[in-house]
Amino acid sequence: MFLVWLMAVPLAGAIATLIAPKEVSKAIAAITSLVGLVGYAGLLFISRAGIDWAWIPQWGIRFHLVSDGLSLFLLGLSAVLFVVAVFASDAHAGRAYYFWLLVLSFSVVGLFAAVDLFVFYVFWEVLLIPVFFLLTGWSGERGKKAAMKWLIMNLVGSFFMLVGVVALAVIHNQNGGGLTFEISQLSGMSMSAGVASWLFFAFLVAFAIKAPLWPLHGWMPDAYGESPAPVTAIISGVLSKAGIYGILRVMIPIFMPQFREYQTLLLIVATAGLVYGALMALRQQDMKMVTAYGSLSHMAMMALGIFSLTSVGLLGTTFYMVAHGLMVGGLFLVLGMLENRTGTRTIQDMAGLNRSAPRLAAYFLFFVLGTLGLPGLPGFAGEYMIIQGLIASHVVFAVIAGFILIVAAWYMLRVFQAVMQGPARTTAIKDLWSRQVAWLVPLAGLVILIGIWPAGITAHAVPSLYHAMHFALGKGGVH
Amino acid sequence: MTYALWPEYSVVIGVFVTMIAVMVFNRRSIQAYWVGLATIVVSGIITIADWSSKSLPVALYGHAVTVDAFSLVVNGLVLVAAAGALMIGWNDKRYGPDFPVLVLLALLGMMVLGLANNFVVLFIGIELLSLPLYILAASRGTGESGEAGLKYLLLGAFSSGILLFGLALLYGASGTLVFTHLDPAHMILPLAGAGLALTVVGLVFKLGIVPFHMWIPDVYEGSPLPVTTYMAFGTKVGAAAILMRFLFFGFSLDAGWWGPALGYLAVLTMVVGNLLALAQKDLKRLLAYSGIANAGYLLVGISAHNMFGARALLFYLLPYGLAVLAAFAVIQFVAGERDSLSLDDLTGLAYRSPWLAAFLTVAMLSLAGIPLTGGFVGKFYLIQAALFANQPGLAIGLVVGAMVGLAAYVRPLQRAFSKAAGESSEPIRWPVAGSIVLVVAVVATIGLGVYPAPVVHIVNHSAAFYWLH
Repeated sequence: MFLVWLMAVPLAGAIATLIAPKEVSKAIAAITSLVGLVGYAGLLFISRAGIDWAWIPQWGIRFHLVSDGLSLFLLGLSAVLFVVAVFASDAHAGRAYYFWLLVLSFSVVGLFAAVDLFVFYVFWEVLLIPVFFLLTGWSGERGKKAAMKWLIMNLVGSFFMLVGVVALAVIHNQNGGGLTFEISQLSGMSMSAGVASWLFFAFLVAFAIKAPLWPLHGWMPDAYGESPAPVTAIISGVLSKAGIYGILRVMIPIFMPQFREYQTLLLIVATAGLVYGALMALRQQDMKMVTAYGSLSHMAMMALGIFSLTSVGLLGTTFYMVAHGLMVGGLFLVLGMLENRTGTRTIQDMAGLNRSAPRLAAYFLFFVLGTLGLPGLPGFAGEYMIIQGLIASHVVFAVIAGFILIVAAWYMLRVFQAVMQGPARTTAIKDLWSRQVAWLVPLAGLVILIGIWPAGITAHAVPSLYHAMHFALGKGGVH
Repeated sequence: MTYALWPEYSVVIGVFVTMIAVMVFNRRSIQAYWVGLATIVVSGIITIADWSSKSLPVALYGHAVTVDAFSLVVNGLVLVAAAGALMIGWNDKRYGPDFPVLVLLALLGMMVLGLANNFVVLFIGIELLSLPLYILAASRGTGESGEAGLKYLLLGAFSSGILLFGLALLYGASGTLVFTHLDPAHMILPLAGAGLALTVVGLVFKLGIVPFHMWIPDVYEGSPLPVTTYMAFGTKVGAAAILMRFLFFGFSLDAGWWGPALGYLAVLTMVVGNLLALAQKDLKRLLAYSGIANAGYLLVGISAHNMFGARALLFYLLPYGLAVLAAFAVIQFVAGERDSLSLDDLTGLAYRSPWLAAFLTVAMLSLAGIPLTGGFVGKFYLIQAALFANQPGLAIGLVVGAMVGLAAYVRPLQRAFSKAAGESSEPIRWPVAGSIVLVVAVVATIGLGVYPAPVVHIVNHSAAFYWLH
C-alpha cells in the first residue's frame, strides 16, 4: 500500500499544478517531490513493501508492485533526482513543465516497482509521453525534432516488446500454466529455441534503445543536446537506468539460456559501444555532448556487467546504476548552471572560470571525478565489480574496459581543464548562489556516502539478485 | 423479461415521431433533436433491460434475425455513436431539418446489421445504413459536401451491387438465406467461392479496407463534421458486426477460405492507412486515414478467427469510437464556422484553450495506443488474439502499423503545444451538447485504459461463440 501512496503523491501534485495558479507551480512540484523523498525514506524501513491487486482478472493481469533490492535503490535514485531537478528548474518554466515532470515521476515509480510484465510495460510506455512534451515544449525547432526522434525510436522498440510481452503470456498459457504476466511465473518457462531467440531480441532492442546502448542511441545526441539541464539530468540519471533495469528485472530471469547462447556477441557489441562512446566523447567540443557520450560509454559498461553473466558483474551493474545516476545527474545540472552563466557550451569559448566561480568549479570537479571512477567515489566500486565479473567470464573484455576507464579520465578531465583552469580568458561569471548550494551539498554528500559504503546498497541487492536469477542458477546460469 | 426487438422498434417509432416533429414545428426545430435523443435513450434503456434477460439468445422470423448478447453490445455501441453525432451537431443551423431523422434511420440500419442472420436482412441493414448517410453527407448541399455525397452514393451503390451479386451467388450455391444454415461442405464450390469473395468485398468496402478505401478520405473530408463522426464510428461498428456475423456464423468451419486473405488485407490496411495518415495536412483527412487503419485493426480480430479475436474486435470498437468522438468534437469546436481544420490551424491551441489541447491529446494518444488509454487496452487485446491464433504476422503487422500511426498522431499534438506566431484568435466557443460528448468521451477513454476489467467482462460474455476455441 505504501508504494501506491508513493505513486499517488506525484500524481496528486501533477493535478494540483493544473488547478493552482501558475506562480506556485514550482512550489507545488518542490513540495510534492520532497514528500516523495520523505516517503521513500520511510520505504527504506519496510522490507519488501508491495501490493498485489487484481487489475484485469480475465487476462491474469495483476497490479503487482514490489520494492525489493533491485528496485529499492532505483526508486531512491529517482526520488532524489526529481527533488534536485525540480529545485534546479526555472521558476518561470510554467505549469505544464512541472505537470509533465510530476507525471514522469509518477510513471518512473510505477516502472521501477512493477513485477507484473503488463504493469511494467504500461509504465514503460507512459513515461515516453511526459518526456516527449518536456522536449517539445521548452526548446526550439530542433527540440521538436529531438522529441519526435525520442518518441519514435523508443516506441519502435517498445511496440516489438509489446508483442514479446503478450507472446510470453500466451506461451505460458499454451504450456498449461494459465494466462499470467507475472515475471516470476514466466521465468524458467520452456520455449522453443527459435521463438525464445526472437523474443529475446525483441526485449533486448527495446531496453537497449531506452538505455541507450550503441548502436541504438540515435535519439540520444539530440535529446541530450536540446533539453533543459534538469530534464537531461532526469533522462540520463533515471530513465536511462530503466533500460538496464529492464534487462536485469525482466530478461535475466526469463532468457538466461539465450544470454548464454549469445553472450560473446553481446559482449562484443557492448564493448564496441564502450569504445565508441569514449572516443566520441573525446572528439566533442560541446561539454554537454562530452558528458552525453561519456554516459553512453558508461551505459555500455553497465551492459557489460550484465553480459558477463556472473553474480558479481550483475551486482556491480545494480550498484553502478544508482551511483552513475546520481553523479551524471549532478554533472548535467552543474553543466546547466555553467551554461546559464556563460551562455555557451563550447569548450573553447571558456577558460579559467575557477577564478570567478570557485565553488562551481569545485562541484564540477567533484562530479567529474565521480563519473571517471575515482576510488572513494561510488563509480569506482561499480566499475570494479563489473571488471571483476568480466575477468571471471571473458578476461579480454575486462582488459578493454580497463583501458577505456583511462580514456574516461582523459575526456572528462579535458573538459574540466579547458573550462575551469588556465588563464582567465573569458569574462568572469557569478558563483553558485547559496540556494543552489543547498541542494548540491546533500547530493554530493549522498554520492560520498555510497562511495565509501557501497555495502549499504549491495547487501540489500544481493538477495534480490539471487531471487531474480533463481531459475537461471538452476539451469547452470551464473557462477 | 425479454424485449427482444424493442430497441429496434423504438427507433422505428422514434423516426416517425421525429419526422412529425419536423413537420409540426415547421422546418428546423430543436424539438426534433430532443425527440431523437429521447429515442436513443429509450432504445438504450431497453437494450440494457434485454441484457439482463435470461431468455437470450433468441432467433426470430425463421432465423432471419438473432437477438443475442453480441447484437446487444452492437446496439450499445451504435447508440453511443448516434448520440455522439446528434449532440456534436446539436441544433446546428448548417444542417437541414432532416438531420436527426436521418441519424436515427442510419442508426436503425446499424442495429439491424448487429442482429442479421439472413442475406436479405444483411442487405436491408446495409442499405438502411447507407441511404441516410448519402443524404447526410450531402446535407450542406453545394460544394465539397455535395461532391462527397455524390461520391459516396456512386461508390456505395457500386459496392452494394457487388454485395448483392455475391449474396445471390451464395444463395444459388447453398439454397439457403440463413447464415447459420450455410453448410459449405454441400455447396457448389466455384459458385460459393465466388459468392463469398464478392460478399466479403462488398462488406469490407463499407468497412474501408485497403484497397477498397478510396472513397473514405474524400467523403470524410467533404461531409459535415457530425456526419463524418457518425460514419467513422457507427458505420465501422455496423460493418465490422455484420462481417463478423457473416463469417463467424456462416463460414466458421471454412476459415481457410477467408482467414488468410483477410489477414493479408488487415496488415496491408494497417500499414497503408497509417502511412497515408502521416502525409495528411487536413485533420479530417488525417482521421479518415486513421479510420482506415483502425478498420485494419478490426480486421485482425476477424482474421484471427478465435474467441479472443471476436472479443477483441468488439472491445476495440469502444475505445476507437470514443477517441473518434473526442477528436471530432475538438475539431468541431476549434473549426467553429468552418467545415475543416488544417494541422496549421491547431498551432498554439494549448495557449488558446489548454483543456481542448489536453482532450485532443487524450484522443490522439488513445488512437496511437499509448497505455492508460482505452486504445492501448484494445490493441493489447487484439495482439493477444493474433498470438492465440498462432499468427504472429498479424501481431507484428499491427505494431508496425501502430508505430507509423503514432508519428501521424503526435504531429497535430506538436502543433497544438507550440506557440502560435503572433495574432491571438478569437476565443473558442464550447457548445453545451458537444462539450458533454467531449468530456464523457475523454473520461471514458481514460477510464477504459485505467480499469478496463468491467468492459472486458461484458465483451467476453457477449462474444462467447462456443464453436470457436
